[in-house]
Amino acid sequence: MDSFTYVNIFETKGLEYLLLLCFWVLFVYLIRYLSPPSKNRKDWH
Amino acid sequence: MGVVMNANTAVSGEFSRFFHFLMQEMKPRGPWLTPFNVISIPVIFTGVVIIVIRFIYGLGAVTNLSQDFPWGFWLGFDVITGVALAAGAYVITFVVYVMKVEKYHSIVRITVLNGLLAYIFYAGALVFDIGRPWQAYNPYIGNKFGFSSVMFLICWHFFLYMVAAFIEFSPVVAEWAGWEKARKFLKSITLATVILGITLSILHQSGLGALFLMAKPKIHPLWWSEFIPVLFLVSSVYAGLAMIIFESTISHRVFRHLIPHDPKHSFDDILFGLAKGAAIVMFVYYFFKALLFIHGKQWSMVNDAWGYWFLVEVIGFVLIPGFMFAFGYRNRSLNIIKIASVMALLGIVLNRLNVSVISFKWYAEVHYFPSWQEIVVTLMIIFTEIWILRWVVTRMPVFKPAH
Repeated sequence: MDSFTYVNIFETKGLEYLLLLCFWVLFVYLIRYLSPPSKNRKDWH
Repeated sequence: MGVVMNANTAVSGEFSRFFHFLMQEMKPRGPWLTPFNVISIPVIFTGVVIIVIRFIYGLGAVTNLSQDFPWGFWLGFDVITGVALAAGAYVITFVVYVMKVEKYHSIVRITVLNGLLAYIFYAGALVFDIGRPWQAYNPYIGNKFGFSSVMFLICWHFFLYMVAAFIEFSPVVAEWAGWEKARKFLKSITLATVILGITLSILHQSGLGALFLMAKPKIHPLWWSEFIPVLFLVSSVYAGLAMIIFESTISHRVFRHLIPHDPKHSFDDILFGLAKGAAIVMFVYYFFKALLFIHGKQWSMVNDAWGYWFLVEVIGFVLIPGFMFAFGYRNRSLNIIKIASVMALLGIVLNRLNVSVISFKWYAEVHYFPSWQEIVVTLMIIFTEIWILRWVVTRMPVFKPAH
C-alpha cells in the first residue's frame, strides 16, 4: 500500500488562471475568425 | 365474424406482398467484381472462421489477451473507438431536431443509419470480447443488477440507444416498405426518441471514459485524469462531426446517382458548417487538455518516449487538424477540411487506443500487441457494416430529405 501523499491542488492555480484568460481571448478571436464578414462591414471598405 | 375474416385476409395479403417485395429487394444489384468486394469477401470469411474458433476454443486461441492484458484491440478499437466515431448521429439529430438548423436535414438519415449500424456492429463486438459471452444477458434480466457499476450503465445505454436509433431511422424503413400509417406514427415520436438518444449518448460517451477511472495506477499519468469522462464526451462531439465529413464525402462519391440536388443547401455548405463546429469543439478540447496538463504538472513527463507520443496525439492530431478546420472554413477549401477530418479521426483512434490499450500497464516489460486474428476480425466487422450500409442505402430512401 502506498503511503499517503498530500496533493496541493492550489499549487498550479496561477498558471491555470492565466491559461483560462488566454482561452477566452483566443476564443473570441476564433469566433471572429470563423464569422463571415457582415454586409455592412463589406460596404464600408 | 366476417369483419375478423376480412381483417385476417388483409393482414395475410399485406404480409405476402411484403414478403415478395423483400425477396425482390434481397437480389444483388450492380457489378460483383468491384475492388471493395474482392478485398472484403475473403476478409469476412476469414473473420467468421476466426470467430468460430474463438467460440469453440476461447479467447486465448485467437487473441494475445492475457490475465495482465484482459482488454485488447477488440475492446479498445471496436467498442471504445467505434462508439466515439458513431457520435455523429446524436450530434446531428441535436442540431437538426432540437436546435432546428434545417441546413443539415438532408444528412440526418444517412448519419443516423451510420450511427445505428456502428452501434450494432461495434457494441455487438463486445460479445466476442467478453470471456463468458453466454452470460451477456445478465445485466438485462436483473440477475445481479450492478446499479453502481459503470459497465451496467454502458450495457443498458448501448441497448437503449440502439432501440432509440432504430426508431429514429424507422420512418425510412416504413417509407421503403410502403407502410404510410406506420411512417406517420413513427415520425410523430421522432423528437421524443431524439431527446432520449441524446441523453443516452451523453451519458455513455462519458461512461466509456469512466470505465478507466479505477485504473489510475495502470494507465500512464499523461492519459489518466479524473476528467476522462468529460474528455471522452467533448472529443466524441468533434469525432462525430469529423466522421460525418469523412463518410459524407465518400457516400457522395459512391452513391452520387442516389442523391437528389438540394437547391437551398449545397453539400459543400453543409461540410463547411460541420468544419466550423469541429474547429470550435477541438479548440475547447485542446484547452481542456492543456488545463489538465498544467494541473497535473505533467511537463516533467514529456521528455521521454511516452511524452513525445502524447505530444504527437495532442498537437499533431488535435491542435493541427483544429487549425486546419478553421483555416479550411475561412478560406473555403474543402480539401483542407477533408484532410483535417481524417487527421481528427486518427487522433480519436489514437487517443482511445492510448487510454485503453497502448498506455495500459505502460510499465510492463512485455507489452500487449494484437494478434493478426484480432485485426482480421476488426476488419470483418468494418466490412460487414459497410455491406449492410450499402444494401440499405441502395434500397431505402436514405438520401431523400425527411418530411
